[in-house]
Amino acid sequence: MGNFVTERDDSTTATSVTSQQLLQAVKGFIAETVTPALSDRNQFNARVAANVIGIVQREQALGPALSALDNAAFSKWIPDGAPDQDVVPQISQAIAKRTIEPDTAFLDYLKQRQLLLSAINNPRYANRAAAAEKWRYLDTDAHSAADTR
Amino acid sequence: MEPEALAEHLNLTLEGLAIDHPVGTRVTNLTRLSGGANNETWRFTWHETPLILRRRPFSAESVENLDGNILGLSLVDEAHIIQLAAQTSVPVPHIYTVLETSHHLGESFVMAFIPGESIPQHWLNADAFSSARKGLAYECGAALAQTHTVDCSQLPQSIKPLTLAHRFDGIQRRLQTFGDVSPAMQFGLNWLIDHAPEDVPCVLLHGDFRTGNLLVNEQGLAGILDWELAHQGPPAEDLGYLCAHVWRFGNIEKPVGGFGEYADLLAGYRSIAGWAPDQESLKYWEVFAALNWGLVCQTMGALWHSGSGDIERAAVARRRSEAELDLIYLIDAWGTL
Repeated sequence: MGNFVTERDDSTTATSVTSQQLLQAVKGFIAETVTPALSDRNQFNARVAANVIGIVQREQALGPALSALDNAAFSKWIPDGAPDQDVVPQISQAIAKRTIEPDTAFLDYLKQRQLLLSAINNPRYANRAAAAEKWRYLDTDAHSAADTR
Repeated sequence: MEPEALAEHLNLTLEGLAIDHPVGTRVTNLTRLSGGANNETWRFTWHETPLILRRRPFSAESVENLDGNILGLSLVDEAHIIQLAAQTSVPVPHIYTVLETSHHLGESFVMAFIPGESIPQHWLNADAFSSARKGLAYECGAALAQTHTVDCSQLPQSIKPLTLAHRFDGIQRRLQTFGDVSPAMQFGLNWLIDHAPEDVPCVLLHGDFRTGNLLVNEQGLAGILDWELAHQGPPAEDLGYLCAHVWRFGNIEKPVGGFGEYADLLAGYRSIAGWAPDQESLKYWEVFAALNWGLVCQTMGALWHSGSGDIERAAVARRRSEAELDLIYLIDAWGTL
């Protein structure tokens, strides 16, 4: 999957700046300039803000893989659903109505989904490493994502 | 309310209480300790006595249609529970006075300040607390067993016995109220319903007994804080909650709150109660706690959407995926779907 950390291109011919690089610049500004200048609660919130930028960066990189996973699950388990509407709420409703059998295949989908989601939202969550190790048999972009934070 | 006004109202209130002080004593060192969704906590000194004020500001936030106790008891009821717990020798602060909503300070109570460390990152890894940590799981088990001996007929009206089925209905409604039901949360709720224990006794639970609500000194457990989520339920619920992954602060190899072992927690419980839930039954409540934490994250998101709170709340909403990961991980480890 795409890189989480986008560095400046130090060749003198580079002129365009990607959205990932813009986010990186904002994150760097918050972490290095804004945060030290603040105190107490605002300093804490500035750290949170820098982390939030990280979430957005990782979602940019991994969001397409998550959508692909959800769309595949939707096609498999809700063949009569409405593909032009959000698929995730339809999956949740089907679970609530118990029209999806809670078998190991469906559990594998949820494992892959959570590995991706946690790679986006908090790749350093302690239990994530244990889960990623245990579920290494699954083929998912989230495994490589976990190593790239 | 500004700190100056708060101090002035406290001066008037404290003069009437049985706390030793010379004439003309004024509140000093008034400091706000923490923010919560509902309540403010202030530390201050009255003559030579350090005290704590818990108060609900008049502008206290609420989320409409939140069915469940996630926003907690009233402070009057919380104070009542702490007083009941004190009678069972649970380490809780002495409560000097409880004030109703009509009081100038608003709904609040004043309690003793217990010295100790309440920030887990300060005591979970520091050498100074290594001997405290050794006995802590046992002490937590004993304190929970003592809490569970409170006579439920003494509880305030707001703490009624609820069947698990009723609580599941409440959780389902809350999931749908948020309009953002995640597959993992719904899967977790279904699993909890399908694997619910039968015929469990109902006792008073602390309801939020986690590492962040323990007050620890170098000898061990000094106090138990934040009783606002107290409710009735099965004893194993409190024990399993303490062992939830999310409350281990990264020390996932230490199942009891990131500092202890199951066997010690259960031995402490048995030392008071004469029995203890079996270790496997705690795992069910770890799943339950994971779902509960996910709901708290969603509540933070709902509060943020309603215009209340800063960026931290928006960010905490994303931590739901930690709870979801735990749900799937624990259900996978349980072995039956």
